[in-house]
Amino acid sequence: MSQVRIDECIPTGELLTSGHLACPGCAAPLAMRLALKALGPNTIVVMPACCFTIIAGPWPQSSLQVPVYHAGFATGPAVASGVRAALDLQGKHDTTVMVWVGDGGTFDIGLQSLSGAAERNENILYVCYDNEAYMNTGIQRSSATPWGAWTTTTPAQFPESTNKKDILGIMAAHGIPYAATATVGYPVDLIEKFTRAKGMRGTRFLHLLSPCPPGWKCGDDEGIELARMAVQNRVFPMLEIEEGERWRLTMDHAGDPVEPYLRRQGRFRHLNAEQVAHIQTGIDRRWVALQRRVAMSGEHALSAVPSAVPSAAPSAAPSSAPQPAGV
Amino acid sequence: MKKVMVGNHAVAWGVRLARVEVISAYPITPQTQVVEKLSEMCADGTLAARFIKVESEHSAMAAVIGASATGVRAFTASSSHGLLYMHEMLHWAAGGRHPIVMADVNRAIGPGWNIWTDQNDSLSQRDTGWVQLYCETNQEVVDTTVMAFKLAESLSVPVMLMLDGFYLSHTAEPVDIPDQELVDRFLPKRDAPHKLDVDQPHAFGALVRPDSYMEMRWLQQEALQKVPETLAAIEQDWQRMFGRSYGAVEAYRAEGADLLLVTSGTITSTARTVVDARRAAGEAVGLLKVKMFRPFPTALLRDALRRLGRVSRVAVLDRNISPGHGGIFAEELRAALYDLGDGERPEIFGFVLGLGGRDVTPAVIGEAIAQARAGTVPSREDLWVGVNP
Amino acid sequence: MPESMPTTSGARAVPPVAMSTMSTLVTHTGSWKYLRPAYHDRVAPCNARCPVGIDIEGYLNLILEGRVDEARDLLLAENPLPAVTGRVCHHPCETACNRRALDGAVAIHAVERALGDLAHERPAPVVKGAPRTERVAVVGSGPAGLACAYHLARFGYGVTVFEAERAPGGMLRLGIPEYRLPRAVLDRDIARIAAHGVEISCGVRIGTDVSWRDLTGRFQAVCVATGAHASRALGVSGETLPGVRPGLAFLRDVNGGARPDLGRRVVVVGGGNTAMDCARSALRLGAQVTVVYRRTRDEMPAIREEVEDALHEGVQFVFLATPLEFTAANSRVHAIVCERMALGETDASGRRRPVPTGERFTLEAETVLTAIGESAALENFFGDVDDSGAGLTVDALGGTSRGALYAGGDVTDLERTVADALGAGKRSAIGIDRHLRQHAGDTQELNALRFASGNLSAARWMQRDPVRRIDPVNDMVGVDDVNFASYRKVPRHDDTRLDSEGARGGFDEVNAGLTTAAAMDEARRCLNCGVCTECDVCLIFCPDAAITHAADGGYTIALDYCKGCGVCAAECPRGAITMTQDRP
Repeated sequence: MSQVRIDECIPTGELLTSGHLACPGCAAPLAMRLALKALGPNTIVVMPACCFTIIAGPWPQSSLQVPVYHAGFATGPAVASGVRAALDLQGKHDTTVMVWVGDGGTFDIGLQSLSGAAERNENILYVCYDNEAYMNTGIQRSSATPWGAWTTTTPAQFPESTNKKDILGIMAAHGIPYAATATVGYPVDLIEKFTRAKGMRGTRFLHLLSPCPPGWKCGDDEGIELARMAVQNRVFPMLEIEEGERWRLTMDHAGDPVEPYLRRQGRFRHLNAEQVAHIQTGIDRRWVALQRRVAMSGEHALSAVPSAVPSAAPSAAPSSAPQPAGV
Repeated sequence: MKKVMVGNHAVAWGVRLARVEVISAYPITPQTQVVEKLSEMCADGTLAARFIKVESEHSAMAAVIGASATGVRAFTASSSHGLLYMHEMLHWAAGGRHPIVMADVNRAIGPGWNIWTDQNDSLSQRDTGWVQLYCETNQEVVDTTVMAFKLAESLSVPVMLMLDGFYLSHTAEPVDIPDQELVDRFLPKRDAPHKLDVDQPHAFGALVRPDSYMEMRWLQQEALQKVPETLAAIEQDWQRMFGRSYGAVEAYRAEGADLLLVTSGTITSTARTVVDARRAAGEAVGLLKVKMFRPFPTALLRDALRRLGRVSRVAVLDRNISPGHGGIFAEELRAALYDLGDGERPEIFGFVLGLGGRDVTPAVIGEAIAQARAGTVPSREDLWVGVNP
Repeated sequence: MPESMPTTSGARAVPPVAMSTMSTLVTHTGSWKYLRPAYHDRVAPCNARCPVGIDIEGYLNLILEGRVDEARDLLLAENPLPAVTGRVCHHPCETACNRRALDGAVAIHAVERALGDLAHERPAPVVKGAPRTERVAVVGSGPAGLACAYHLARFGYGVTVFEAERAPGGMLRLGIPEYRLPRAVLDRDIARIAAHGVEISCGVRIGTDVSWRDLTGRFQAVCVATGAHASRALGVSGETLPGVRPGLAFLRDVNGGARPDLGRRVVVVGGGNTAMDCARSALRLGAQVTVVYRRTRDEMPAIREEVEDALHEGVQFVFLATPLEFTAANSRVHAIVCERMALGETDASGRRRPVPTGERFTLEAETVLTAIGESAALENFFGDVDDSGAGLTVDALGGTSRGALYAGGDVTDLERTVADALGAGKRSAIGIDRHLRQHAGDTQELNALRFASGNLSAARWMQRDPVRRIDPVNDMVGVDDVNFASYRKVPRHDDTRLDSEGARGGFDEVNAGLTTAAAMDEARRCLNCGVCTECDVCLIFCPDAAITHAADGGYTIALDYCKGCGVCAAECPRGAITMTQDRP
């Protein structure tokens, strides 16, 4: 049968229980469900303030069957660094520490903490599920809000006037071992990326597009399809970046025009033809630049990471030194 | 083992003796030698800790919170603006009942930039739920650092200890380093009752509704109210093992005094010499050193004053100011002594001095004593010494 | 020491830190929903559009599961002539196939043909119901009559088919040329019907050799399926000239083995299948052939592949033209004066009416074949039977205005295709069975036999439908109900065809169809519209993890947690989940 049997590629265990408080049709719990399937129970989640703070369920409930630390808004990577250090002291080197946070906590208030952790190459898996605004507090703009979008702080008369921050470019500039985009529209691709990230060390960054029906003003059942459209029209390309240098696309992108994607979302309802064309131009330009980076990637070889730990050092290796692979 | 060392290094020694497991800190004058010394100790293996060199103090506290939540012993140090930057996380550490210890090198707050000592940084954090212990000497710093972990882990409350910038942090004093083996007996490895553990998965810190939040704050309050008795017991052990103790409040030559100085930090050392001089001259001046500011030692101070009986005036020397209000120790003392009967309640003179590192000399203290003696009641709640308006 | 905190009634023991002690399963988020999902097998468009009433999706699904013999049986339960229809049907199933919007319709005709051919290599067991005492007569052995007889035999009746011609098949034998439908193929399919105990009596014309009254004496019910053989006249001057022949008469000759000399040039008038059959047959007899049609190619009623094959083989077309008169030379038709037409307003057939422009031109030809439609000769049956002018009037089960007289196929005023005739024959059989059992039944019962608004299923009538359905509802799955995201593009398998030289050189079958393996592969392109295949897409995409495997197959939706978001229904590749308003 020509149906692609995704069930053959999705692990069957469930680590997210029903009864969580996500809005109907929200992509975030689906993303978490899939992520935990890939990562398994040997995972600790650090969760700064974001929609999932509420989704996870109020005390004394939790919908995640792994340990969770609900953290302050800007602190995910820092808290995770502390958790990681403690786990390593306890000999639990294989426990994955995953930071799970929204676009607000990543692009804006938490960017400093993220940059710090990435610069230190902390051995954490950082996941930004991006619904393109501060949705938890009622749909206010963030620096992840795309140009032209309505939000409660960028009303239709003056919609979002700056481009979405290039978070992946920022993370690539840190030279971390792995950065990638993924989305619930392509669950197998997402699972593969989480699995790949899990098997690596150092700072791994995953940027997930997470459609939000109330914030994007679409039907509850449209989120998955919108995620696919965003990939196919190259608004949100599926890519992987290793060491900040080797860029590759992980699937074909049809290059569909962006307009149908925009028209399905009430947050873009006010756009006129000129504005739509502007968005299309931006997408096309960024795509060309991305193609160039992908093409250039073949020229750079992976260089070995030198160990700064002197051979005469006693057993304790301070986390401040670059970690040799495998530690 | 006796060594001569500056206060910042005394902190580092305390951290090493306590076998801290995770440190995360960001450098700021005049704390920097704390982190430098600790880095050395980690590098040469004398301290088997992970040192996370974060990019801000807010992250430093967040990182030690993360480590503490995972069940290990964690420490950080800061000062002034750094401490303020981690303000949100101070609340978090206390509300999360994380037994973190932090050394704060007291330093004034800008603008204008001022690297010298006063207590506004730590005192402005007095509502965050941390125990606050103010140190007078470098010996006290080492001892308090270790005891702070024991206190924190006994009650699941975070503890900050203060040392004056430059006067202690950068001043070398002789210090008797306690024996590591004895310290290990005094302070075993941390055994956290709850932690992040994949074998027992829980979520920590989720949404708590109005129907339960007050209970959690009540339990936090209850724990803090056990601090005085717990600290006393801890100091008793320390006394037994190492021959030293300090007390949450120490009375110095207070018997029979009719005027008491109330001090904290290094001003205490200067005040001791003033008391000695006045006593030598026949004046009944005594001193109360307040080490434990949070929880405020209300019962101890009240009992002390009742016991002392003859005190008619109290001169509180505050190296701090709550703008729009008064010196903070003075204000808290007034509240603490409010319930004393009419005959027992002394006049309280609150003196604001030494802000921004301005020297508090015996003459300055003498000025305060003179003012306290001169007026029958304070002319205002905050009496500023040595300010030329 | 602090005073104890005053307790309010209901205050519970609270730990010092907010540490979770339970999952969120205590929160029944299902109360949020206002729409509720449910698995309902729905009707694939192929099933809904098949005039025969075949469970096409059903047999394609069986092939997918490797159950090819069962697929054959399911097909034969509805269609006695699959090898025939796989070759000549106009396949509205393919026109309706939802896969068209992705990468091309499933080549259902090719699969049907393969199954039909396979059914001769691996014959299905003869299926018959408990024997009935009543006997039924069927007049006419075209597809309608053959279908009626077949189904009645399967229902347990003794059936005799009376055929006026020397051999059975009706228009299948008389009208359709061998290069489209080899006689051996037709004979084999008809033989299967005979194997069910149906007696086919050829060379017997009712009304002449046997009276209608005799029939009603000997048989408890009669089905009339005598077809429509009278070619419509053009009504223009010169129509009776030698060389101007009705297309059907020409085809009867050629299909009977004759190879008349048509001269050098032939003009065929008309745009239907008969016209194409005439044109392509004339081509094979060595003539240059031009088809004249009064509308454009888009309006031609002929099966599209027939037109393409005709073009491919070298038939010329003149569109938007109609003959005004035929002129003679040497006592034979020599030229056709035609008028150019333009398309005007839409007429009753839904097509734009051709309007004369006044412009004329002339074509020369030695032979003209007219194929502008046929009419049924409405026999003088025993008594009056209602007709609408276009044919006998029949009800939903083929019943005429007269008692135990049923009718189907081209003799009625319904659609005139092979598939419609097969479907009509089946309806008559069900109608006769119901009549003879004195079973009143009602519309609801009839609708339960249908696929959506499509034709009835004999398997359902016999309560022998082997296909398991989950809470079926009778609405059709449109292209907006399926989700192509789960499908790879797989191009449609193309039939193997003779090249144009080989094709027009003789009357060998032009279309070789697909190999069995290719046909089975093609069957696997079926989306299984409306039928849950347990692919787990719904389970995977549910944001609330509310869908799990049920112990005995299929899925359970935990309505206590399902928020009614509709993602499962939207993502289902085949529209097998329906969202309805939630009721408490």
